[in-house]
Amino acid sequence: MLETTAQRERVLKLLEEEGGVTEESVRRVAREANVPEAEVWGAGLFYTLINNPGDRVRVCDGLSCQMAGADALTERLESQGKTCERVSCLGQCDLAPATLDEQMKLVTYEGRPTGVTPDDPELPMNLGGEMDRSYAGLARAREMGAEAVIDELEASGLQGRGGAGFPAHFKWRSLRSQAETERYIVCNADEGEPGTFKDREVLLRQPHLMLEGLAIAAWTVEAKDIYIYIRGEFGNERRNLDRAMEEAREQLSCFNWHVVDGHGAYICGEETALLESLEGKRGMPRLKPPFPTEQGFRGKPTLMQNVETLACIPAILSRGGAWFKGLGRNEPGTKLYCISGHVKTPGVYELPLGVTLDELVEAAGGYEGTPMAFSPGGASSGFLPMDQRELPLDFKSLAGAGSMLGSAGVVVLNDTVDMAVASAWQLVFFERESCGQCAPCRIGTRYLRRQLDRYVQIGDPASLAQADDVGWEMEEGSICGLGMVAAKPLEAARKYFPEAFETRNSNGSSKRG
Amino acid sequence: MSEARQLPEDELFEVEINGRTCEAREGETVFEVAARQGVEIPVLCHDTRLEPAGACRVCLVEVEGQRRLQPGCAWKVSAGMKITTESDRIEKHRRVLYGLYLADHKLDDAGLPVETANANQLRMLAEKTPPLQLEAVEAPRRGRPEDENPYIKFDPELCILCARCTRYCDEIEAVNAITLAWRGSETTISTAGERGLLDTSCELCGGCIDTCPTGALIEKKAPQILPAHAEKVRSTCNFCGVGCQLDLHVVDGKVAKVTSPPVGETVNDGNLCVKGRFAYDFVHHEDRLTEPLIRREDGELHPASWEEAIEVAAKGLLGVKERHGSDAMGFVSSSRCTVEENYLMQKLSRTAFRTNNIHQCAAT
Amino acid sequence: MTNSIDEIRDTEMMFVIGSNTSEAHPIIAMEMKKAVGRGSRLIVADPRAIWMAGIAEKHMQLHPGTDVWLLNAMAHVIVTEDLVDHDFIAAHTERFEEYRESVLSYTPEEAEKITGVPAQDIRDVARLYATTEKAGIYYTLGITEHTHGTDNVYALANLVLMTGHLGKPSAGMNPLRGQNNVQGANDAGATPVFYPGYQNVTDPAVRKKFEQAWGVELDPNDGLNLNVMMKELAKGKIKGMYVMGEDIVISEPNVSQIEKGLNQIEFLVCQEIFHNLTTQYADVVFPSSCFAEKDGVFTNSDRRVQRVRKAVDPPGNAREDWRILADMARACGYPMPHYENPGEIYDEMAALTPKVAGISHERLDERPRGLQWPCTDSDHEGTPTLHQDGPIVGKAGFQPVAYRPSDEMPDDEYPLVLSTGRTLYHYNAATQTRRSAGPVAKQARNFIEIHRKDAGKLGISDGETVRVSSRRGSVEAMAMVSPRPRRGCVWMPMHFAESRANELTNDAGDPITQTAEYKVCAVRVEALTPEPVG
Repeated sequence: MLETTAQRERVLKLLEEEGGVTEESVRRVAREANVPEAEVWGAGLFYTLINNPGDRVRVCDGLSCQMAGADALTERLESQGKTCERVSCLGQCDLAPATLDEQMKLVTYEGRPTGVTPDDPELPMNLGGEMDRSYAGLARAREMGAEAVIDELEASGLQGRGGAGFPAHFKWRSLRSQAETERYIVCNADEGEPGTFKDREVLLRQPHLMLEGLAIAAWTVEAKDIYIYIRGEFGNERRNLDRAMEEAREQLSCFNWHVVDGHGAYICGEETALLESLEGKRGMPRLKPPFPTEQGFRGKPTLMQNVETLACIPAILSRGGAWFKGLGRNEPGTKLYCISGHVKTPGVYELPLGVTLDELVEAAGGYEGTPMAFSPGGASSGFLPMDQRELPLDFKSLAGAGSMLGSAGVVVLNDTVDMAVASAWQLVFFERESCGQCAPCRIGTRYLRRQLDRYVQIGDPASLAQADDVGWEMEEGSICGLGMVAAKPLEAARKYFPEAFETRNSNGSSKRG
Repeated sequence: MSEARQLPEDELFEVEINGRTCEAREGETVFEVAARQGVEIPVLCHDTRLEPAGACRVCLVEVEGQRRLQPGCAWKVSAGMKITTESDRIEKHRRVLYGLYLADHKLDDAGLPVETANANQLRMLAEKTPPLQLEAVEAPRRGRPEDENPYIKFDPELCILCARCTRYCDEIEAVNAITLAWRGSETTISTAGERGLLDTSCELCGGCIDTCPTGALIEKKAPQILPAHAEKVRSTCNFCGVGCQLDLHVVDGKVAKVTSPPVGETVNDGNLCVKGRFAYDFVHHEDRLTEPLIRREDGELHPASWEEAIEVAAKGLLGVKERHGSDAMGFVSSSRCTVEENYLMQKLSRTAFRTNNIHQCAAT
Repeated sequence: MTNSIDEIRDTEMMFVIGSNTSEAHPIIAMEMKKAVGRGSRLIVADPRAIWMAGIAEKHMQLHPGTDVWLLNAMAHVIVTEDLVDHDFIAAHTERFEEYRESVLSYTPEEAEKITGVPAQDIRDVARLYATTEKAGIYYTLGITEHTHGTDNVYALANLVLMTGHLGKPSAGMNPLRGQNNVQGANDAGATPVFYPGYQNVTDPAVRKKFEQAWGVELDPNDGLNLNVMMKELAKGKIKGMYVMGEDIVISEPNVSQIEKGLNQIEFLVCQEIFHNLTTQYADVVFPSSCFAEKDGVFTNSDRRVQRVRKAVDPPGNAREDWRILADMARACGYPMPHYENPGEIYDEMAALTPKVAGISHERLDERPRGLQWPCTDSDHEGTPTLHQDGPIVGKAGFQPVAYRPSDEMPDDEYPLVLSTGRTLYHYNAATQTRRSAGPVAKQARNFIEIHRKDAGKLGISDGETVRVSSRRGSVEAMAMVSPRPRRGCVWMPMHFAESRANELTNDAGDPITQTAEYKVCAVRVEALTPEPVG
């Protein structure tokens, strides 16, 4: 049974090795993995890196890259005879506009300075410091015992950094209480929300903290196998991770480590979609309950945590939960804030959880131009106007404002931006990345994007007459978080920048928000 | 797998549906309990033969304590749970959801989902709850127009991607010929290599047609729209020994289509195989024998009247009996014929010819 | 079947032997697939790697015709490891000791040599079967169509009895009937030894009952079994026949002998919906009706009596079979009543047949799931699981069986073992299915499945036309080079009139049932075209 399960999990990797989805490759993979041909076909076509590999430049379509002139760059590249494809956010918003070349190597064109918090040993993750290879937290965990580890985690108040902000210790405790002893640890390194590139920096600068966090988790919940699901476009990050794992071979040796590449599907950042993908299937979210802590990977209890969450854990154990908790303002700990868009030095800054936008932008060298709006936590968080700049950037405050901290991918938009167009950029992302499983999301994202395009083209607000109802249903009716938030950018833009959605002249862009 | 079956079956508890208290047991879904109470929850993607998918979102209900609406087909009840299946919120949800479905669906002149030979359940829902009017989304869903299989037709414009067909093909028929493919608004029902079904593992059982709620999958050879005067006659399949029940659809004195009775109603639980569902062409085939035939002096068989044929046959057989005795007679009855006919055949051989040399063809 | 089809989904273990379930009984296979999905453990014993073997926990790929060895060896494991159900044996069976002795020499190690199934597998499966409560045996013609078919059935029954897997839901002994109404035809007395309801024709009391009811004197002796009848026909001893709804020329074994017999028969009446190979010999042909054109009942594998209803009229001057039969009886001098409808015929039969006495068309019309016999009176709701209250009337005797090789074994001249059977897409003589586009598109012509190594040795490639010959005849078919058969074994469907598998098959019969050995005969396969050079 296990053998066949493991075989089918290889489907996506085999397809990638085959160089894509063709009738012949599908036949071979089906035979080798002992999976029906149709399933291989269906799974392969779900993932853009599998269904559409090949020689061309991928130009990022994310909000920051769009604002930095991705359209113009594409035109330029095409005029040089290159074939370009516009793709969903590449997670390089600080380097906007970002591209991957024909060999999937990152190429940037602006040469703008980017930043990271300078070395400060008092920071739990300290991205600017030397790479921490001590594995002191793991040693400490072994001394403390599993229950004490979880108690410490509870004391730290650490909230999941993947976006939901759910206290981490609940999951750990739930895992330990499962009767089933075959348990798995999964690291979610499939970062892909437009505006977000913090996990990337952890993988590049402090990969050992994440590995250590995983080892602590596995040791605590008594799991043997650890899976790291890493975004397929992360070439450098993957190499760096491999290097780190090699360096720490000894410390990591008591667990079975599996690094699995993603294949180009944002939705696989959703935990249950990620599990499906790990199992070699289409990355369609599952219904919850059951939750992964009860029935996750291979139907067994699974603890899944985000890269940043894991990277916080060594320090929590070494220096204590109370210490960590005290680092935050209203909510515990420090947070990796990504900032891009119209700021001077975009980058990742580790700051107390709950700083304001101005504090964050100050770390990033100040605003560029006159700021008009900001997106506090990735595309899913919509937009906020500058009069909300005093809001603490934490889970509770932003939720209270109808937005969310999410992945803390903050993007600043100045007054040169057409808010209707900016919303359309975000909607394109959601439409492209919808898994297609449920109608509110699959049809809703497409409907809103088309109606917004229509509005931008002809300037008639009637195009958006039903947008509120559709957005409402997307939030009420979708299976997973993607569909629930996909209407947010448009909804927020219309709420805070109504003037950007008034009747326009037929040439389209007379009024700006 | 087996855990679900070990639940204590006798432990009943109370739940509340729309303010009415009713009994339920561990492991049951909202949908099951509601159905027992006669509370109808609309749904498109559910088929009791399949694992609940919760994908169509039509059956969302309010569960007290849950912030979000939850799918009644999949949500398991627990003691004291309070469920609401009708409210303003649910009404609005249905109105907008149906609107979205219609924006992604082939509509008739009245703006309703197109009716096919398989009742379009989306149309029925839209008739009950007027959907929000939305502009069409023109999803780029691919079909397989080249598929030359003789029975099963897929119209992507009528597909709502509930995946009942692919799940049926996986969970019940277990041949995995069809799959969901692509992603987002491009998602469609496909086969490996987009090949015709004859070139796949498909066994042409037609269960996908049967489970399709909107008529996106229909029979190629049956009328695409069944006339109002079509009559359904319940009967038993004449192929293997399973005894599947069939509904023969009769149009103008001919069997125009065969379907299975509803799930749960008969021994075949809504299922049929390729023979039962599709191999009825023989009924009205031009090769059917339509006249009694008698071998005349020229050695050939010629049409004759029934009176003459019966008389000649009786005389012929009686002659053999007179000349050679009853033991020289043989009667072969048929396991294809009815019990009554077999009874008459053995009665005929035993009475008129006084022989037990009677056996049905499948002498095993 | 001692159990019902819908009990399958709750079974904990299924032992499927000699049944290509997914092709021959697709809807029962669906229930089995469902059971597997719910965690039931499936064991398949079959010489071919049939579809079900692909989802089975274990496939016992035995040599054709070695079933008795396999089953006795399983019994050997169960008795030597004392996994038997002592209470059941004491309460409901007799002759266990004798039987116990008889299986002691059937060790799994010896069985491995003869059946080709690893001894460890035999042990594992025997233990699993004996120790699983809801364990059901499912079989069909792969068990019965042998010269030792009765022995095979006894060997299975012995396993059931020794482990007490009887009279319980989702366990039991379940022959899957091949045709829509095999069960019903037998129930109705279309057999040479029974009146309706398995009442012996040689029992004077029974005979008297029927003589009184029918008003004539009846034949006191057993009649001829079909296989014997065909042999007598070939010998010229059967001189007049009335054949209803059966193409004996394609369906019976060793057909060239039957054709010889039909050439010399004095009078033949056929009652058919299509011309077939048999009607070519008929003196009179009655055009009859198919299932959609008449009323009546069929009885399926789980003894379920269900209604057949008239949906359309027979074509042209064709008539319902029951009307033709009644007219024929009267024309032959027997005063058959003037039945208004088949419901009246059923009532007449039910009145003479205790097992179905409680069944009538009226009751069936109210029950979409039919009624399963025994159903003894009009208040009885039928019997889904047989033998539930006090498993057996009296005591069931164990029947020790000894292995006998099949009648015809391969030799230098005919080195391959041929089994025949049915495919998913066609049905028996295929007069119906070959008139349907889908089955024809899937399987247009006859084929012979052959292992790739055997094919290689014979210089045969996939898709090429080959000649298949046995001592009795020879046909052409397309070679299907496949990993499914055992080496040394080939398989051919029985559906194709222009290439009849039954030209090849052996009509040697089981000593008790006379059922012919369709599953084992020796053949030779040759390439038709000369081997390409290079």
